[in-house]
Amino acid sequence: MRELLQLAARNVLRQRGRSLMTLFAIAFGVVALILAGGFIKDTVDELGESMIHSQSGHLQVNRAGYREQGAREPAAYLLAEPEALRAQLQAIPAVEEVLLRNVFTGLLNNGRTDWAIIGEGVEPAAEARLGTYINISAGRQLTDSDPFGMMLGAGVAQALNLQPGDWVDLLTNTTEGAVNVLEFEVVGIFQTFSKDYDARAVRIPLPAAQELLGDPGVHLAVLRLARTEATAAVQQAAQATLAERDVEVLDWRRLNPFYEQTVALYQQQFGFLVLVILLMVTLSVGNSINMNVYERAAEFGTMQACGAPQRQIFRLVLLESAFLGAAGAVLGVVLGNGLALAISAVGIPMPPPPNSDIAYIALVRLAWWISGLAFAVGVLAPVIAALRPARRAARADIAESLRQAV
Amino acid sequence: MAIVKVEKVGKRYPLGEQVVDALRDVSLTIDPGAFLAIAGPSGSGKSTLLNIIGCIDSPSTGHVFIEGQDVSGKTPDQLADVRARTLGFIFQNFNLLPVLSARENVEYPLLQLPELSRAERRERVAHYLDMVGLARFAEHRPNQLSGGQRQRVAIARALATHSRLVLADEPTANLDRETGRSILELMQSINSKAGTTFVFSTHDSHVMAMADRLVHMEDGCILRQEERSAQSAEEAAP
Repeated sequence: MRELLQLAARNVLRQRGRSLMTLFAIAFGVVALILAGGFIKDTVDELGESMIHSQSGHLQVNRAGYREQGAREPAAYLLAEPEALRAQLQAIPAVEEVLLRNVFTGLLNNGRTDWAIIGEGVEPAAEARLGTYINISAGRQLTDSDPFGMMLGAGVAQALNLQPGDWVDLLTNTTEGAVNVLEFEVVGIFQTFSKDYDARAVRIPLPAAQELLGDPGVHLAVLRLARTEATAAVQQAAQATLAERDVEVLDWRRLNPFYEQTVALYQQQFGFLVLVILLMVTLSVGNSINMNVYERAAEFGTMQACGAPQRQIFRLVLLESAFLGAAGAVLGVVLGNGLALAISAVGIPMPPPPNSDIAYIALVRLAWWISGLAFAVGVLAPVIAALRPARRAARADIAESLRQAV
Repeated sequence: MAIVKVEKVGKRYPLGEQVVDALRDVSLTIDPGAFLAIAGPSGSGKSTLLNIIGCIDSPSTGHVFIEGQDVSGKTPDQLADVRARTLGFIFQNFNLLPVLSARENVEYPLLQLPELSRAERRERVAHYLDMVGLARFAEHRPNQLSGGQRQRVAIARALATHSRLVLADEPTANLDRETGRSILELMQSINSKAGTTFVFSTHDSHVMAMADRLVHMEDGCILRQEERSAQSAEEAAP
C-alpha cells in the first residue's frame, strides 16, 4: 500500500502542468464554497444577534403556560418574587444582566384616533444595554429618569403621526378588569429587524406599566449573556436552579420562530450550492483526468502484465485523483479563508433585509465546518470524476493497451 | 510436463467492418528450458500467439495450458495471479514505469507477491540488477538510461519473480544490432544457467539464428518448425 501511495504521488507530480490546472479548478470550487458559506453564516448570525439584541434577549423566564394562555389572563401568569428570581439567575456564570418586563395590550390615542398596541414595561437603562441592534430613528432611548416617557415602534409612530415630544394617552385594563388611562410623552421612535413588531410595539418604564395595570408583578425575566454560544449551558443551569418554581426557560431560537425558518431556508440553499459546485468541479476536472488515464493505457497494461490485478489499477487512478483533490482543497481552504478575511476587512454593503428598513454591512465569516465541508467537496469531486476512467483503465483489454507506446 | 501447451487455438477479432482471423487452429507445445523464437512477417499472428500464451489475451477457440493448468476459463484476477507467479514479460518498447527508478521497476512485480518480506524483495532486486550489470544504475529513472540499459532493467524485472517462462515480443526491435545481440546473449545465458524458458517473437534473422527452436508463422498458422541443438544455435550466432 505504501508503494502504491508513492507511485500515485509521483504520477501526480509527473504531469505538473496538467496537475496544476486541475489543482486550480478544484481550489476555485473550494474558495467559492468557503465564501458563499461564510456569507450565509454571517447573514444567519447577524439575524440571530439582531433578534437577541433588539427584542428577545438570549433567554426568557416566564410562568409555565404563559405563552399559550397569558394573553387571555395576564394576571394569572405573573412571576412570583421577581427580585429573588433575578438574584438566582444573576448568580449563573455568563449571565451579564437580568431584565424584568411585563407585557400588556392596550389602545394608544393621539387625540384623534386609536391604535391597538402591544406594550412592554421595561427597565430603561438595562434595555438600552441589551438593545444594541435597535435603531433609534427619531428622538432618543428611554432612560430611568423618564417616569412617563414612551418609545414607539416606527409603525406605531407612523400610524398615529407622532413625533418625539408629542403626548399620547395609553388606555388599558387593570388586572381587575377596570379601565385605566395614563398620559405619556413620546421620547423616541425605534426600528428593529422586524416591521411587524415595530407596527405594534410600545415601551414604557416598568413602574409606569405596573401603575397602569394596577399590579406590581412582572411577566418575564429576560437574560442578557456575555456570549450567544453560552445560551444552551445557561438555559440548563437556569432550569436546574429554578426547578422548584413553576416556570419555563425559553431560548432565543424558541422565542423567534422566524429565525429557525430563515436558517432552514438558507441551509437548503447552501446544500444546493454545495451540490452545484461539486458537480461543476467534477465536470471541469473530469476531462483532464480522462485524458491522463487514456494516455497512460500502456503503463496500466504493463502493470497488469506484471501481475497487478484490476483493482490495483482502479485504486491507483482514484488515489491519484484523491491526492490532486487534497492538494487543491488545501490550496482552496487557504485562499478561501484569506480572501474571506480580506473581504471582511472591507465589508459588503447590503440593502435592508426583508421585513426591515435598515441597511447593513455584511462580512464573510470563517467556520471550521464550512472549511471542512469545502475541503470534502474538493477531495470528493475529482474522485467522483475519476470513477469512470479508473474503471475503464482497470478493465481495458491488456493486449490492446500494450499496443500503445509508453 | 510441457510448460506451455497450446491446443487448437483460434483468435478472431473485428477490425472495422471485417473480421480478422489472427490465429487459426494453432497447436504448440513448449518444454521447460526452451529458447524458442517465433518468426514471421508482421500480421502473421506471432504477437497474438505470444499474448495468448502470456494470459494477456484470450483465445476465441481452443485451450491454453500453463504448467498443466487450463487458463482459458479463468477470471481476470486469477490470470493476474498466474502472470505474477509464473510469467515475465519483455516488451519492444521496454515499458518501464517512468516514475520509478530501475530498482523500483524491478521491485514492482514483487509487490504482487504478499508472501515476500521487504528484505527478501530488496535482496532479489539487488541480485537481478547485478545479474544484468546495472547495479550502479539502481537509482536512475528510465529516461536517464539508454535503450539497452532499459531493456536490461526489463529483463531483471521479468526474472525477479522467479518466472519460469519469459515472453519477449520483439525484444531487440528498438535496439541497434550490437546492443540487440548483447541483450539476446544475456537472455541466452540466463536460459542455460537458470533453465528459464524464453519465448520471443522476431523478424530479425540474426535473432532467429540464436534460438534453439524456431517456429515460422504466416497468416495465423504455424508454417513449419525447426529444431536445433544448443550447439548449432551457438555456432549460428554471428
